Amino acid sequence: MDVKTIAPATKALRIRPLSPNIQIYRPQLTSVLSIANRMTGVVLSVGAIGLVIWLSAAAAGPEPYDIVQRVIGSWVGRLILFGCTFAFFLHLCGGIRHLVWDTVNGFDLWSIYISGWSVVAASVVLTIAAWAAGLSVSGWL
Amino acid sequence: MIIDSSDRVSRLNWLKRFPVPRNFNVAPESRIEPGRTWPAPAGASRTKAFDIYRYDPDSGSNPRLDRFHVDLDDCGPMVLDALIWIKNKVDSTLAFRRSCREGVCGSCSMTMDGTNWLACTRFISDMATPATIYPLANMRIIKDLVPDQTHVFAQYAAIKPWLRSRTPEPEKERLQSVEERSRIDGYYECILCFCCTSGCPSHWWNGDRFLGPAVLLQAWRWLTDSRDEAKQERLDDLEDPFRLYRCHTILNCTRTCPKGLNPGKAIAEIKKMIVEREG
Repeated sequence: MDVKTIAPATKALRIRPLSPNIQIYRPQLTSVLSIANRMTGVVLSVGAIGLVIWLSAAAAGPEPYDIVQRVIGSWVGRLILFGCTFAFFLHLCGGIRHLVWDTVNGFDLWSIYISGWSVVAASVVLTIAAWAAGLSVSGWL
Repeated sequence: MIIDSSDRVSRLNWLKRFPVPRNFNVAPESRIEPGRTWPAPAGASRTKAFDIYRYDPDSGSNPRLDRFHVDLDDCGPMVLDALIWIKNKVDSTLAFRRSCREGVCGSCSMTMDGTNWLACTRFISDMATPATIYPLANMRIIKDLVPDQTHVFAQYAAIKPWLRSRTPEPEKERLQSVEERSRIDGYYECILCFCCTSGCPSHWWNGDRFLGPAVLLQAWRWLTDSRDEAKQERLDDLEDPFRLYRCHTILNCTRTCPKGLNPGKAIAEIKKMIVEREG
């Protein structure tokens, strides 16, 4: 028998749908810290441009340096700098966590969660400590 | 907050999904449309709502999300029992895979309330209301909750998951010491349900070339087997920016494994073995 005659009437071939992934999968400490490590890396890369601008201004002379200092010293500038500080410490602590993993240590779930929350807590504490130290040295605190 | 075992269900009620649009990165044929609500069973005193992903390849239309009401007094305690109850009592066209109903076959793996697990070992009482059930994430769907696993099984075959030896076959079995045998503990128990691979964001974005946690755990299971004699060839095959090194130690795999295994650790062991081989 000719296969074509018993095959169902012409139906447009339809590609199978892909089941949802990021749209429905639950955020967990594991995935959230991973994406946070990526995002803080991007923030630090962009922040590095700011660092270059600041150093260039310092090299260019007192007037451009004064302008950049005033931008950084504004409350928006300080807010961005505060965010960069937090990004720096989160990326640093997360990096140390990854170094430990590279030695095949800390892989049981309890350690994964303890080290994860420790990274979050340490970044908050270090950020606040760095700002307290900075503000007290400059006499604002 | 602290999870010490993968069978712990998260009790957090905020941030149940990433703040991305529902159709973020979704191709037109995969967009989920509103489905129908099936009538609640008449005369039931305790019911629970289930939102279930439906896709009928013969209908020519997109996947949809149907709502069912399950009579809890007429149904077993597990999510698989609820699915069977729905198939028997409400809609016989609901398609899903199941076999052993006790967590050893790996057929009924699916995404329940946003995490991957086996329907037969997930309690209905641990599910949110309404409970949401999707097929295993990031797979091409054949029908309803039945994913096409051709690709992941092809990836499994690619690591040659069998004993490869050069030495002549012994008269009896190949012997191992107790210590040598214990090295594959925590790896040989894998049932290939692909909960981990389907929950791995790296596999979502690079699944065409990244082998994924389930297959890499199997790769380590053979690398660490004292009877296997193809260690160098296996490492040569794995040492690749995509096959192995797309693993960024996210560890969704270890969080979700229904057998409590540790694919993340297995992958770290492979990476370490490659570093040590370089000397």
